[in-house]
Amino acid sequence: MKEMLTPKKLLTQITSALVVLVLVMIVCSMIGTQRVSLKAAFGGAGGDDGVNTDYEIFVRVRLPRIMLACLVGAALACSGVVFQGILRNPLADPYILGISSGAGLGAIIAVVSGFGWTFWGRSPIAIFAFVGALGTVWLVWSIGRLTGKSHVTGLLLAGVVVNAFFSSVIMFLTSVAKSDQVFSTIFWLMGNMTEEDFAVLWVGAGCVLAGILALFYISPQLNAISFGDEDARTMGISTGRIQTAAFAIAAAITAIAVSLSGLIGFVGLIVPHGIRLVFGPDHRQLLPLSAITGSIFLIIADAIARIIVAPAQLPVGVITAIVGGPFFLVMLVKYARRVGWLIR
Amino acid sequence: MSIIKVSNVSFGYSRVEVLRNLSFEVPARSFLAVVGPNGAGKSTLLNLLCRTLTPKSGAITIDSSAIESYSTKALARKVAVVRQEFIPVFGFTVVEMVSMARTPYFDTFGFERKADKEIIAEALEMTDTTRFASRRLAELSGGERQRVFIARALAQDTAILLLDEPTSFLDLRHQVAIYDLLKKLQLEKGKTIVAVTHDINLAAQYCDETLLIGADYSYCIGRAEQVLSGEQIEKVFGVRTYVGRIDRENFFLPLGKFAKDADAIATNLTSNQRK
Repeated sequence: MKEMLTPKKLLTQITSALVVLVLVMIVCSMIGTQRVSLKAAFGGAGGDDGVNTDYEIFVRVRLPRIMLACLVGAALACSGVVFQGILRNPLADPYILGISSGAGLGAIIAVVSGFGWTFWGRSPIAIFAFVGALGTVWLVWSIGRLTGKSHVTGLLLAGVVVNAFFSSVIMFLTSVAKSDQVFSTIFWLMGNMTEEDFAVLWVGAGCVLAGILALFYISPQLNAISFGDEDARTMGISTGRIQTAAFAIAAAITAIAVSLSGLIGFVGLIVPHGIRLVFGPDHRQLLPLSAITGSIFLIIADAIARIIVAPAQLPVGVITAIVGGPFFLVMLVKYARRVGWLIR
Repeated sequence: MSIIKVSNVSFGYSRVEVLRNLSFEVPARSFLAVVGPNGAGKSTLLNLLCRTLTPKSGAITIDSSAIESYSTKALARKVAVVRQEFIPVFGFTVVEMVSMARTPYFDTFGFERKADKEIIAEALEMTDTTRFASRRLAELSGGERQRVFIARALAQDTAILLLDEPTSFLDLRHQVAIYDLLKKLQLEKGKTIVAVTHDINLAAQYCDETLLIGADYSYCIGRAEQVLSGEQIEKVFGVRTYVGRIDRENFFLPLGKFAKDADAIATNLTSNQRK
């Protein structure tokens, strides 16, 4: 049956996507306020002062930023796939269970408290955001569990309410905070790519990659769960264990992404849907392709954010919605009929 | 040899008891219909047989082992369930959905091997769904979709097949087609089939035995002609029913107060039942 997914077919798709990713990385590393020639960076000698400017910009500015966009894009897209599949809700995204407001609350508490310390080069904002994100997901998950055995609806409602509650607390804190503090928080909340330290990037990338591989490993089970809990159980899947694991991993990689780059919207919503529209909902294919496409999407969005109002920069979160929205709508109209999940 | 054995099973949802001291056995390779009024616990029974629910008391044995002794995976290799058809949220194709039934045979991550593909192809073939293998579920009619759900249960390659009202939304032709298919699976593939149904005519014509569950925890099991007498049906469902005979089985015509033939049948009913 040629319709079925084979390892060979999947490998070809992943390889092609990786090739596109590398090309996008190369092109985007060259463009920006200052054009960088890779030939000059790696072949040429230094300038008059012995400093190879192209090399310096490439390694210290562009590369870390592209790596960051790559890992954040992959994390958000995969986490979106998992939340949509397990909650069986096309509207779900990585932030639906309170990660965004939890991270935001953590960030603003850090700002308002005026902590000046750093931990391993990270500002208190990032640390507090990370803890806030995970803490909130844990809270929502625990509340959801109390609502019953099949707790998908309870979980969603708990997530929405906790999100609303924490958002109000954020607004309260914003209204009592000093204006310069508020500005830095709002800027952080909009989602930003900054030039990170390589050590931080490698650790983040390692964690995100491990998470994605773990999710990929349980992807056949996620297929069955996206049909329904009872259905999955009668197909031999320990739904409770798989769901808990998938939630924990998705929440963790989202929290890492959020603590590194703030709240970047839209990637986790439209990338999984885009892949589903074109390739179908099989998680074995959906997860790796979403991860790579999420990276590609965010690298391009960040490149646009860097150049569109150069020498100033826009928060990348603005670009993901402005560019991603219309693009997604075009795809939706083009493919939805074929896919059939909009026909009832 | 009984493949399913239910002994003294009781079950309730919080304060409402649904089943009380239910005991019966299902011989291997036989076809059992479960009939009864709404709320009598038919679907609950099905959920107990696939361990989606656990009995409050009593024991269920599947293939000579206690149902709780099976791992989730091992049980999925013994019992497949066809629930009432629905459209999944995401647009899986027919073949993707049927392939999913091979999950209990994967370790964790995996792709369908050659043997899996043969089983999937056969399941599609038997249910006559091969020609829309690459279509999505939402594009199919109710009857076609029901056949796909049966194909998926077949691909799970189990000895026991449980079905919850497999013909509830289907027209006459498709109702009969589903029962013909189930009978074929019983006879040719040696499946043990337990189907919850509201259609006592189809149950009588196709099933070896019928389990009639009443809302008052009463039940009886046996051949359709023994279990489904006019008197019994009126007692359990509260509807006067004309019971006729063609050759080997009875047929049933429930008649309400305002039915055209209600009066004519009323006099006739008792004489017919005596036969």
